[in-house]
Amino acid sequence: MNQPVLEVTDLVTVFEPRGSLLRKAGGPVRAVDGVSLRLARGEMLALVGESGCGKTSTVQTIMRMVSASSGSVVLDGEDITAATHRRMRPLRRRLQIVYQDPYEALDPRFRVRQTLEEPLLIHTKMSRTQRQDAVIAALETVGLTPAETFLERFPHELSGGQRQRVAIAAALILEPDVLIADEPVSMLDVSVRAGILDLLDRLRRERGLAILMITHDLATAARFADRIAVMYLGRIVEEGIAAEVVGTPRHPYTQALLSVVPERDPLRTRAPLLLVGEPPNAANVPSGCRFHPRCPMAQEQCEAVDPALRPISADHSAACVLVE
Amino acid sequence: MTSWGYMLKRLVFAVATVFVATTLNFFLFRVLPGDAIRNLARVPHASPQLQAELRKQFGLDKSPWEQYLLYLRQLAHGNLGISFADQKPVIDNVMQALVNTLPMVLVGTVLAIVIGIATGVIAAWWRGSWKGSLGTSAAIFFYAVPTQWLALVLLIAFAGVLPSHGMSDPYLLDDSWTAHTLDVGRHMLLPSLTLALTLYGEYALITRSAMLETLGEDYVLTARAKGLRPRVIVRRHALRNAMLPVTTLIALSLGYLVAGAILIETVFSWPGIGFAAYQAVIQRDYPMLQGTFLVLTVSVIFFNLLADLLYAWLDPRISE
Repeated sequence: MNQPVLEVTDLVTVFEPRGSLLRKAGGPVRAVDGVSLRLARGEMLALVGESGCGKTSTVQTIMRMVSASSGSVVLDGEDITAATHRRMRPLRRRLQIVYQDPYEALDPRFRVRQTLEEPLLIHTKMSRTQRQDAVIAALETVGLTPAETFLERFPHELSGGQRQRVAIAAALILEPDVLIADEPVSMLDVSVRAGILDLLDRLRRERGLAILMITHDLATAARFADRIAVMYLGRIVEEGIAAEVVGTPRHPYTQALLSVVPERDPLRTRAPLLLVGEPPNAANVPSGCRFHPRCPMAQEQCEAVDPALRPISADHSAACVLVE
Repeated sequence: MTSWGYMLKRLVFAVATVFVATTLNFFLFRVLPGDAIRNLARVPHASPQLQAELRKQFGLDKSPWEQYLLYLRQLAHGNLGISFADQKPVIDNVMQALVNTLPMVLVGTVLAIVIGIATGVIAAWWRGSWKGSLGTSAAIFFYAVPTQWLALVLLIAFAGVLPSHGMSDPYLLDDSWTAHTLDVGRHMLLPSLTLALTLYGEYALITRSAMLETLGEDYVLTARAKGLRPRVIVRRHALRNAMLPVTTLIALSLGYLVAGAILIETVFSWPGIGFAAYQAVIQRDYPMLQGTFLVLTVSVIFFNLLADLLYAWLDPRISE
């Protein structure tokens, strides 16, 4: 197997609550609690989980927007876990991010050309015409053609899908090794989602871009990703090759997630495996297996044993006492 | 709607507002207790005949309606009447007062904008640390302090160091242009500083909240992810977008500045429009009152109009 371009090992991110005089602060929140991920060149890894499970915190920590409490993030052989802002700056061009909401991610007062030029101004010494060429090339790559007609537009003159393409173009213009896509299509109309996902898929195949895609949609993950990592309350509970995770899910949480993915035939009904109990709260992690209060298959031992991620096959592992 | 249609609509609205305000001003001062002529009755030898004569001369013997129509007709010709107090054309008095007020208000406002925006940015960037708290608390303090109190405190604190009264030294021997300007500048320092301090707090608080909003936006995160330096992020992305509400607020508050200077001008006896209005109220000098209030009204409405147009111009989403 080739050398991973991004390797995250036992990453922990703890948020200390900001206390005030009047309100007593709660305990620290372990938003990311021992997450390990490997991403190879040209690979797409989908990080799946429900809202508040720590997906975005994981990404923020990888991006060095938030400091890791322990563990490490290695980008192409270089440990960036504790990199200073100064050391991080040249590395940023190799690790780019696309945010969820294309309506928020673009500066409303920047024209498309300015948005795309900015990274070039920070990281390169290109001339004006070189920059112009690079901007046009990036726009064409993301399918905004003819590129010239988009250059002088403001974000409010673009549709949601077009904005997300601009955001992707801005992330790609520095030719990064790794692209993190934080729910890149969840704010878009269903009709334009496929276009964006196809674009990301093409980019990794043609350019060898490694993509870490955050999503809460297992169907999307199954369709586009090579590997899937399922996250629950700051932990990876199941990880493996996409087809295996979706085909033979081993963790009850993954099974529950899969049971609510709609069937293609709307008349065919299936009993969804509905989860009961409290939604996960990272400030109050249950004892033992953190999923046991909501787990339909919970046993007595689950309250005491906190299972580690154990391999099931060569490329599939799950964290559940039922997995032998 | 086209931007021309928008502007025209605003303009018509502004003119109508000026008319209504003018009418209100006219009648408001006449229901005030006291009388312009009665003041003169205390003067020795002011016989009833003389009073009646004066009343006739000032046109106060006519019915209010007649006076009002006369006022409107003259106003349309650009005639603001003659001051009861000094028998000079009101227009000349008002213009002179305005010329005195504007430099003082301008210096104070520019100072307030600079200090206000800087404090707001600092308070937003270092939110939660002592730097941010200090900036915010100081801004709230100066926002809350009554203008006249602050003016008096500064006056006492700098008594003897800086001139406390008027806008120039009548005994200045050197009549060169530079000496005169320096002298006025020294007189201007305290009133302008008072104005700046009472204004900057509001600007700082608005800037801070607008900055906090933009600093949380995804495009600021994106800028960080791109590797932009914090200072550049603040200037290019956060502040630029935060300036939208700040600019409109400043434009709006400019209208009240001319009026707001009444307290400052009174404390420092600055012979400006506010001081003139104050004097006119005391003397029941109706034409002067109408003149000064016309200027105040027009300035408030003008800057409101300006704020409206500025907003449309600044926000590319509105100017469609």
